[in-house]
Amino acid sequence: MLTTRSAYLFLAPSLALYLLFVGLPILQIFGFSFFDWDNGIAGDFIGLANYGRLLADGVFWTALWHNAIWVVLTLAFPLLAGLVLAAILAERNASVVRWLGAIYFIPRTIPLVVAGIIWGWIYNPIFGLLNFALEAVGLGGLAGAWLAQDNTALLSLNVVGAWTFFGFCVIIYLAAIQSIDPSLYEAASIDGASWWRKFRDLTVPLLRGSTLFLGLYAAIEAMRFFDLVWVTTQGGPGYSTEVLTTHIYKSFFLVGDFGYAATLSVVLLIIVLSISAGAFALLRKS
Amino acid sequence: MTLSTRRSLPVLLAAGITAGVSIQTATAQTVVTQWDQFAMAGITAAGPAMDELIGTCEPDLGGATVLRTIAPSIGIRDSYRLAVSANKTPDLAYTWPAASVLAGYARVGALAPLDDYYEQYGWEGINDFYRGRNSFDGAIYGVPMEQDLMGVYYNPTLFEENGIAVPTTYAEFQAAVEAFKEKGITPIAFGNRDRWPATNTLSLLLGLTAGKDGEEAVLFGDASWTNDQFKLAAETFQSWAKNGYFPKGFNGIGYDEANALFLSGRAAMTITGTWVLQDMARGASFDLGVFMLPPIADGVPPGTMWGEGSQWQVSANASQEVKDATAAYINCLISPESRKVWVEKGYLVPIGTTPEELKQWDTLPIVKSFFTQGLATSDANFYDLHTTLPESVTQVLYPELQRLIGGDVTPDDFLSAMDAAWETAIDNGERWVP
Repeated sequence: MLTTRSAYLFLAPSLALYLLFVGLPILQIFGFSFFDWDNGIAGDFIGLANYGRLLADGVFWTALWHNAIWVVLTLAFPLLAGLVLAAILAERNASVVRWLGAIYFIPRTIPLVVAGIIWGWIYNPIFGLLNFALEAVGLGGLAGAWLAQDNTALLSLNVVGAWTFFGFCVIIYLAAIQSIDPSLYEAASIDGASWWRKFRDLTVPLLRGSTLFLGLYAAIEAMRFFDLVWVTTQGGPGYSTEVLTTHIYKSFFLVGDFGYAATLSVVLLIIVLSISAGAFALLRKS
Repeated sequence: MTLSTRRSLPVLLAAGITAGVSIQTATAQTVVTQWDQFAMAGITAAGPAMDELIGTCEPDLGGATVLRTIAPSIGIRDSYRLAVSANKTPDLAYTWPAASVLAGYARVGALAPLDDYYEQYGWEGINDFYRGRNSFDGAIYGVPMEQDLMGVYYNPTLFEENGIAVPTTYAEFQAAVEAFKEKGITPIAFGNRDRWPATNTLSLLLGLTAGKDGEEAVLFGDASWTNDQFKLAAETFQSWAKNGYFPKGFNGIGYDEANALFLSGRAAMTITGTWVLQDMARGASFDLGVFMLPPIADGVPPGTMWGEGSQWQVSANASQEVKDATAAYINCLISPESRKVWVEKGYLVPIGTTPEELKQWDTLPIVKSFFTQGLATSDANFYDLHTTLPESVTQVLYPELQRLIGGDVTPDDFLSAMDAAWETAIDNGERWVP
């Protein structure tokens, strides 16, 4: 018979690994943040000075703002598009669902580094496919330097992020919709409900759990993504695509200020944990 | 097992162990771990020369062998910094930059001082300018080898076809640019998506507006970044961008893409340095030409940005035996015989190469032309920001420069931001002074 004690014994190895490879480094980073560092060598203990510096760091606030924008855009577009697409797809026959589901999921299988390189070429001002296509259809006036302008760079990158993420949302929502009792939809149809009424009053409320899960997943990913920005713009032009992870990277690897990079990492961890805690609270309530 | 087998086992075992130890002792050898950036393509692509010289110079290591890792292009800087933080630097590294970043490594005790070796081997070809740039706190920590100069690579075919003369004054340069623009040809191939190319261009413009003295007043003295000469440099750079000197969307074009634009004949000029001579020479679809950008401000003498690119540096953790071996090896790598190989096989002109040697050696006309022109003004040549600024300031310069040339900030705002970062670096003890 499985007792609580034996359950913990079974959990112990993975817990030990987690503490060793996740918990311990987190504590280490927390410790690093209280020291002054020079070229990767620890110096004097400086208490909370790095945290004070962070409050006055304009680049940090700009990066945080960009992460917040990314969270909102990711929740608004790929999530919403995934939900609507899944609701439409769920009513098709199994073969269509299988094929279209797989096609939508393909971008999800592409690593963000590769997606960044591909889209970097698409957006390229000299030989990019996007400008070429716009000119070919007579919309050359809309052609631009998508990753080179302040007002389009972040949005252009977000399109790439959305492209890689929405297929994942489709699959998750599809699975959730297919687990809803079909008799509910039958009853609604008998009552004369339109597709939109069924979607709004049945599908959306019943997918609350999936929406919260995807929302949490999207929010965490939006706070910690790095590779897409680094291979395309490295946070530029200027600071227009700077995010917390690129700021951490530059502080750590390029400036060698391990203490300040550790401070930024601790703050990022607190933000992600807060988002997770909020989402889990909502999940428990639902 | 028989009794005789059992009795002979310990003897056999002992013999085996002894033999093993003997073999190990006989084959134990000093290994010098070397990191360098001499790949076969990209920046500082002098791979063919390095390959040959390892074979030539390895015998000078006194029986030691070289275990080489190539970390191509500018990435070696980041790799080396990580190695410093882990206290696992290679015995010998050819990495960039010198000056303030080298000083940072020396400051934390990662590098071995090389003064004794300078005295032992002489190395007279490395003059005081270069020794100063590779020193920290009174000791020398690097052996510079390569010379980096900046100039304007141009396409002589495009110039001739369009009846445009190679400019000798800044006004003529501007006229040439306007003429190419009118003919629908991109005047200057420039891409700053990678963020660092604009820093080199600004280094050149600062020297041609402020001169070497003006730069030194700020970089090593008490003058502020917000001076009139630096403002002229910032205004010039911004005006180039605004007036269509560069391809559209240049902040979204990579350095290699910009070079490809020039090398394919679709741009008339590109302003970059000798660190990419190898790629330029191998990739051009036409006979390359080069000229030095003329002074911009009145009273400033002709000159160009001049740096050492990278330097050989030795790990403080290396044993004395390894340090002695690497010093002998470096001595071979920078010898007159080896310099010929660097020039002829690697298109890299080491420090100490005389104009007469360059004339006689078998290398491309573009190599000879670039260095002959660039070194003719050696007294007036000025500083490379990449190697002179501390890293914390460089990481402010990159985005602020993108904003300046993108037209998102004024020259005054740009210079104020730089001054603030500069003052912070000075307060933190990061500034390097020769």
